[in-house]
Amino acid sequence: MKYFKLIRRNLFRNRLRSMMTLALIAVIFFFVATLLSILELFNRFEDQGQGTNRLVVQSSISLANPLPYAYEQKIREVPGVADVCKLQWIGAYYKEKKNFFANFAVDQDRMESVFADYRIDPKQMADFKADRQGCIVGTDLVKRYGWKIGDRITLKRQIFPYDPELTIRGIYEHPVNTAALYYHMSYHNEAIPPMMKDHVNTFWLSVKDPSKNAAISQQIDAMFKNSEFPTETVTEKQFQASFMAMMGNIKLLFGSISTCAVFMVILLAAITMSMSARERVTEIAVLKAIGFEKGLVMTLMLTEFSLLTFAGGALGVLGAKLIYMVVPMGKVTQGFLVGFQIFPMTALLALGSSILVGLIAGGLPAINATKMSVVDGLRRVV
Amino acid sequence: MALVEVKEVHKVYKRDSFEVPVLNGISLSVGEGDFLALMGPSGSGKTTLLNLIAGIDRPTRGTIAVDGREISNFSETALAGWRARHIGFIFQMYNLIPVLNAFENVELPLLLTKLSKKERREHVETALRIVGLADRMKHYPRQLSGGQEQRVAIARAIVTDPSILVADEPTGDLDAKNAAETLDLLQHLNTDFKKTIVMVTHDPKAAGFARRTLHLEKGQIIEDTANGARAQA
Ligand SMILES: Nc1ncnc2c1ncn2[C@@H]1O[C@H](COP(=O)(O)OP(=O)(O)OP(=O)(O)O)[C@@H](O)[C@H]1O
Ligand SMILES: [Mg+2]
Repeated sequence: MKYFKLIRRNLFRNRLRSMMTLALIAVIFFFVATLLSILELFNRFEDQGQGTNRLVVQSSISLANPLPYAYEQKIREVPGVADVCKLQWIGAYYKEKKNFFANFAVDQDRMESVFADYRIDPKQMADFKADRQGCIVGTDLVKRYGWKIGDRITLKRQIFPYDPELTIRGIYEHPVNTAALYYHMSYHNEAIPPMMKDHVNTFWLSVKDPSKNAAISQQIDAMFKNSEFPTETVTEKQFQASFMAMMGNIKLLFGSISTCAVFMVILLAAITMSMSARERVTEIAVLKAIGFEKGLVMTLMLTEFSLLTFAGGALGVLGAKLIYMVVPMGKVTQGFLVGFQIFPMTALLALGSSILVGLIAGGLPAINATKMSVVDGLRRVV
Repeated sequence: MALVEVKEVHKVYKRDSFEVPVLNGISLSVGEGDFLALMGPSGSGKTTLLNLIAGIDRPTRGTIAVDGREISNFSETALAGWRARHIGFIFQMYNLIPVLNAFENVELPLLLTKLSKKERREHVETALRIVGLADRMKHYPRQLSGGQEQRVAIARAIVTDPSILVADEPTGDLDAKNAAETLDLLQHLNTDFKKTIVMVTHDPKAAGFARRTLHLEKGQIIEDTANGARAQA
């Protein structure tokens, strides 16, 4: 484009100002990309139940209230239920409290059937089932602690009065839940005191026809309504969402910080751009006198402004991308942000908004500068 | 027929609630190849009249025709295109774009044409050669003297080969030597390249380079004289 030279030269007209604006936009977009990626990560966790159509039976009183094993057979008899798998949240940690990750006791014989989306080598699965103290772990955990199959690990107790002593028998792959550990429900049940035995905090069900989920849930909850242990049956997505409910506030906070940051960058860019436009009033009048149409002058200015903000945005997003490739956020946040990265969609969103920032911030200055008549613009010199 | 026909032109500026009459019924014609100097006291309306002829302002009343076409009726877009083809501008403060070098400044009006990059280069080099600055193509305005800047501006004005050059006090900011050189250049363009020139000036010596001098006072023409013997630099 033959006008590009003019645009480029104008971009570097005031080098210091351009560089400072660029740096400022880059820093702000670094944070925007980070916050948006954290939000995206949360959303992915919430969405991990999507598409699996599992149902979760939990106590209607609280998640900490256990349900008796006896429920499993009754639930299994409900029409539409394909299979049932007991799952108990253990909440133990590895070596030190800061090494926290999700760990569960799972019905080792039902896991494959109900949690079919957890991909694992069949040989490893068989080894896991065969070892009463065996466990399987997610790919990210293996990376984090440098584990390998055959390693013996001991978890430290938090809720239950024993330290699980385990041997890693398999490594599973999952699109979202990459940092959890599962061991035998039977080992757990033997290790806990008699009064706790034969109870579990959730049953996970696979269903034959997901469209019947509502009816199945109702029937299960009705069955236990007047018992000592009433239940609440929800979809996996709802379960994850309620588990992440406390995240709701964090999401709102991060969302508003991002919005504020973009708004701030618009204001700051608008100040720089109106300064830059005001300095050029005479030049713009000269261009128009020579025969440049208003629309062309405006296009040139807006291209220049959005190039500047886009360059800043790109710098910030790229910087974030590179930094999080080196800095293991999962470790830094003690397992809170496992699998964190600048997601491609987030990067695109941030880059798109950086262009928008240029157009919005530069719009008014560009309109004001170009709408002035040639005569008035020229008179400003003398 | 004359190249420029100004008929009964009035220009009134509205300032807040009251009106300021600036031009009061001006009629004049400028023939092809003429070199016209506009003189008169400050505020008499010289710049205003020049701007009307150049098509960057519109008369309140009256008509202006250039080359037989009524430019006061043109739309803003049409007028911009018309200026690009027919008018070359020369300003008192040169008004070069500071971020572009001499070559790029002169090339600016050609960007609006369909000329190829190579053709543009040829035109720019020719224009700069005419003003005697072929060796300063890569210089930026701040690296040029005032006289050189004005010559680059003149090259920019002639590069599209327009029919009319308008110059508002082109020597107003130059010392005597540079002023004389600039006027000499304008005269050269008028004599050898048949450019029609309308120039506003305060300086009777500068006006002496023109073929004809028009005196304005309070928005009216009070004197219109042909210069017998033209000055030489
Ligand atoms: N945009 C405008 N709004 C209001 N008044 C204006 C405007 N432009 C010019 N004028 C007035 O019109 C009058 C003539 O202005 P003009 O610039 O044509 O004078 P001039 O003869 O070129 O003067 P000078 O020699 O000082 O350049 C002046 O009184 C000026 O204040
Ligand atoms: Mg004037």
